[in-house]
Amino acid sequence: MRRILTPGCDLGRVDEMTRFWGRIFKQQAPPSVARMRAIDHLNRTLIACPACDAVWERPTLAPNEHAKCKRCHTTILTNKHRSAERTVAFMVASLVLYAVAISFPFMRMERSGLSNEISVIDAIAILANNSMVILAMICAGLILLFPLLRIILLLFVGLSLFRKQSTARPHALSFRLAQMLEPWTMAEIFMIGVIVSLVKVGKLADISLGPAFWGMAALIVIMAFGASAVCRDTIWHDIRRVP
Amino acid sequence: MKTAKQAGLARCGSCGTLTDRPGETCTVCGAKTYVRRPNSLQRVWAFWIAGVLAYIPGNVMPIMVTQSVAGDSPSTIISGVIALIHHGSFEIAAVIFIASIVVPVSKFIIIAWLALSIQRGWGLSEHRRHLAHEAVELIGRWSMIDVFVVAALAALIQVGALMSILPGAGVNAFAVSVIFTMLSAMSFDTRLIWDGSTPEAEGLNVGH
Repeated sequence: MRRILTPGCDLGRVDEMTRFWGRIFKQQAPPSVARMRAIDHLNRTLIACPACDAVWERPTLAPNEHAKCKRCHTTILTNKHRSAERTVAFMVASLVLYAVAISFPFMRMERSGLSNEISVIDAIAILANNSMVILAMICAGLILLFPLLRIILLLFVGLSLFRKQSTARPHALSFRLAQMLEPWTMAEIFMIGVIVSLVKVGKLADISLGPAFWGMAALIVIMAFGASAVCRDTIWHDIRRVP
Repeated sequence: MKTAKQAGLARCGSCGTLTDRPGETCTVCGAKTYVRRPNSLQRVWAFWIAGVLAYIPGNVMPIMVTQSVAGDSPSTIISGVIALIHHGSFEIAAVIFIASIVVPVSKFIIIAWLALSIQRGWGLSEHRRHLAHEAVELIGRWSMIDVFVVAALAALIQVGALMSILPGAGVNAFAVSVIFTMLSAMSFDTRLIWDGSTPEAEGLNVGH
């Protein structure tokens, strides 16, 4: 992969990337550099509240300060200290824990001499094989696919910010997608579901928890920390910046 | 204070970039920009109706079937809660009851109330409605618990002829209902709540 070493973004590259984007989103005219500068200037001076649409002068925040809209009290600007570094750290940890959570046995069940040991992937395969394809697909997406995709996308965005590399178009797409996935990653809800199912099964069989269970438990904690380390506004501000 | 709409600007819903040409593609993230989400309330109602329609079979049809030597015993969400109470696990019964019954039903009511309050122009507190919407967005996902309970049980309890648990058709309907309700809440443009109010405050609250 070609690395772009200039700070901000390489404008020749921007044109190329916007054409690429245009094709993806079926839009013809890529924005001109002048247009991008105008947008950049507008956004250096003003900021609008996402919840109530009030426009404010954009404040300069000290690290760990945040700004709240006076009208609706929504937090509209944050400046998290060492956001990129912490995001990358948590996402690397999440990736390792994710590998643990899917590859090791999750639970083991024993009843009258018969035992059954499953990993999360086995569990989804069992559902799919028992003609519950829809349920299997919903579970695979919400528990395995979306969290993994989100970890990878945030790692990609965080890493490039961390290395002070250009945060140009591909990062914008990645971060947009990562934002969209946020409500659809449900590993933590799955864990509560598993705990409830343990109680339900309790009297019927002996259940023991495997390493993947603890891996998944750690994963949801680390992912929560990772999500709170991400500083949206800084990331978008960096992506928007034109030298 | 002005709103972006009054200033002739639009805030990109995805990256927050302000643009002076609403309707164009955001130059920063590639999303479509608009002053207000187009047909927001129509989308809200469409997903709402789909959610309510799917919620009915989700509750009426069995969400899982326990097959054992004694025969098949299907159970619905409610019968599962009652069984848990009989076993004495009140906390777990409460979790399931709240996640599968209380949360979805109150979500339907709150979303409908929000949409109606805008369509009918009810002069209700903006802050209260805003908080209600935030609560719905935050708690809504947790209704999926019961779906994952069934998935975990069905995957784990597979001991051949002795006993096995199969998911029932109700669980699909229930999962789809939760997804539609989440989409309904997401389609709601909170700026519509504030459009009716007269802003007077000046400046931002900056602090730690």
